[in-house]
Amino acid sequence: MSVKVAKTNNPDPYAAADELRTSLSGIKPVMVLFFASSIYGPDGISAAMKQAFPDSTVLGCSTAGEIISGHMLKNSVVAMAFDTGTIKGVHADTIPLDSIRSVDTTLNHLAGALDASPLSLDPERYVGLILFDGLSGAEESTMERIGDLTNIQVIGGSAGDDLGFSATYVYLNGKAFTKTAIFAILEPSSRFDIIKTQSFCSLGKKLTPTKVDSATRKVLEFNGKPAAEAYAEAIGVSCTDASSHFMEYPVGLMADGEPFVRSPQRIDGDAICFYCQVREGVDLDILSSTDIISDTKKAVDEINAATPIAAIINFNCILRTLDLEQKGKTDEYGKIFSGIPTIGFSTYGEEYIGHINQTATMLVFLK
Amino acid sequence: MLIDTLIEERSKGSASIASTTRTKLLLKGIDLKKYTAQSDDDPGVIKSIKQIADEMGINLKV
Repeated sequence: MSVKVAKTNNPDPYAAADELRTSLSGIKPVMVLFFASSIYGPDGISAAMKQAFPDSTVLGCSTAGEIISGHMLKNSVVAMAFDTGTIKGVHADTIPLDSIRSVDTTLNHLAGALDASPLSLDPERYVGLILFDGLSGAEESTMERIGDLTNIQVIGGSAGDDLGFSATYVYLNGKAFTKTAIFAILEPSSRFDIIKTQSFCSLGKKLTPTKVDSATRKVLEFNGKPAAEAYAEAIGVSCTDASSHFMEYPVGLMADGEPFVRSPQRIDGDAICFYCQVREGVDLDILSSTDIISDTKKAVDEINAATPIAAIINFNCILRTLDLEQKGKTDEYGKIFSGIPTIGFSTYGEEYIGHINQTATMLVFLK
Repeated sequence: MLIDTLIEERSKGSASIASTTRTKLLLKGIDLKKYTAQSDDDPGVIKSIKQIADEMGINLKV
């Protein structure tokens, strides 16, 4: 099994790609995955990376910060090269996000290349990797449709732009795209696992969305009351202070005791806008933050103790990164991955079964 | 129960697919904790479940 990681902060995209190619030499990659700061022009970095790895499937996206074994970075490009010892095969394509029918087209095309239908793909053999335009607002509907069509696990993240919130990009084989997702079906050479860790526990209090505008990810009412008032009451603060507690007290859908976090973004009048969709009538638990470092380390160590980890792709929510930055713990977070070939990025949303917030979703390749 | 039939049809006996399908239903707005075999039939919920089954390509015989 062979996988290599590399980083560069050379501001010239072609020089950066060349540095990465040199660092990643020694293996013949079938796939190169890269995550690039938004300081890199989208067309330039995508073209440069494909030029550096012409015989590989090259995919990636823009970020709000990068992660590599041992470090959390800014203004850099990180890359991971996989040879056939790690990934037997990869089939990747774009999903245009302007029509939900595109999901069917892309999945049928990719599964067809494996002489299969999306539903017949073996979840023990294949895993899906997805990268979204992080400002598309299309993650929920796309992930739901993918989940309708296939039983393989799909994991990924929404591209960032270093908190500019103006344009995010996904990259495939030399081209840059907006309003698009990149979807890849991977066939790992060995077993693989998924980590979903969110460092929250339930307070045992519930809010039920009773009036929702799904299209704008806005909750108008919880428990029949104006949303902001009900939220503030539930966490015991005034309405005017409520938004300063959003990061510490998000809400979550509880599935088998595991929260699928929905993070409040801002108060809009009496309503609360979220970073992902909230469904009317489905109870949400109020969550309280726990320690990101210890929770993440525990999740990684547990898998590594059972079967040594060969590599990790880490989709880490930007809100987690901001929390770590505020607490001066980014170095400590990076060190969790010191001994493991890892790349990742700070995302505008994480994907696992659906679209989630304030979570790290990781694809783990086992030895 | 209609929801159980949908999960059984989709998972074909796989516990992990059944678990994932339950989470998919929750994310689509079907909170399984709220329904038991004794629950009154809610036409709105039944319609939603049939629509989800359609989207998943499952033919629910009711």
